Amino acid sequence: METLKINGVQKQFSAGLPQTLTELLKHLNINEATVVAEIGGEIIARQNFAQTELSTGQVIELIRFVGGG
Amino acid sequence: MDKLVIADRKFDSRLLIGTGKFASCEIMAEAIARSGTEIVTVALRRVDIENENDDMLSAIDRSKYLLLPNTSGARDAEEAVRLSKLARAATGINWVKLEVTPDPYYLLPDPVETLKAAEVLIKDNFIVLPYINADPILAKKLEDAGTATVMPLASPIGSNQGIKVRAALEIIIEQANIPVVVDAGLGLPSHAADAMEMGADAVLVNTAIATASDPPAMAEAFKLAVEAGRAAYKSGPPAAGRKASASSPLTGFLRDE
Repeated sequence: METLKINGVQKQFSAGLPQTLTELLKHLNINEATVVAEIGGEIIARQNFAQTELSTGQVIELIRFVGGG
Repeated sequence: MDKLVIADRKFDSRLLIGTGKFASCEIMAEAIARSGTEIVTVALRRVDIENENDDMLSAIDRSKYLLLPNTSGARDAEEAVRLSKLARAATGINWVKLEVTPDPYYLLPDPVETLKAAEVLIKDNFIVLPYINADPILAKKLEDAGTATVMPLASPIGSNQGIKVRAALEIIIEQANIPVVVDAGLGLPSHAADAMEMGADAVLVNTAIATASDPPAMAEAFKLAVEAGRAAYKSGPPAAGRKASASSPLTGFLRDE
């Protein structure tokens, strides 16, 4: 089973991994324009989301702005 | 004009607004508008991938307000640097409100890790606005390291206690060659006016506005207080004395003596 660790949670993809970061965000119903992503601790620039291919076992952080002081 | 200048950028407003704890994005947006602010702080958190949540950023008009991401949640320099880089990747903005708060109870900033993070971030071309305890030596070291401001607390974050560190804050203001933004603990407009009368260059307010019954009205009250406090400071307030000093002439009473 292919897996990704997303925001600390192991997610299983029985039908196969989304190919790219953009496809993963679509799969999760997350608006790409509002998030910033890290894969394995490396920041991925938003303009590269569509070209960033995913592989099983990767650790992904998806982060966005919230209210704060 | 009496402008606030941070890192060569000029601002008319001396009130910075935090965006936490508002009941809705609409109330937040209205409070921001009524406050007259030009700088709003935001935080970064993991997306909740199970429950799609709203993007609060769409409620902030970025052509009107400078977004100032904070590093809240960072417990050491390394985490603060990581959050700063994520914020820059998200916004393209290299301004950051540096907060390193390892203690979850009083949320007091760690001076050693804050200075360490500031040095790393400045080397990486960030404009750094560090949240600090009211420590004049630390403020000086941060200024020497190249921070754009110092942001000493008035009292613990969200405590609404007003200025509890007056003597130290006075020294910071006296010695600073960069703007001093009093951040945290200002619970009433009078507290904000107090800080401005002391000579603070600006204040940052969040909880006192966001958790008021009518946040937009409170935002406006803070706006007026900050303006009044600044005007009073610029007018050179006279010193306080122990004895009375008559405001009316003491001569010419209707009695013979």
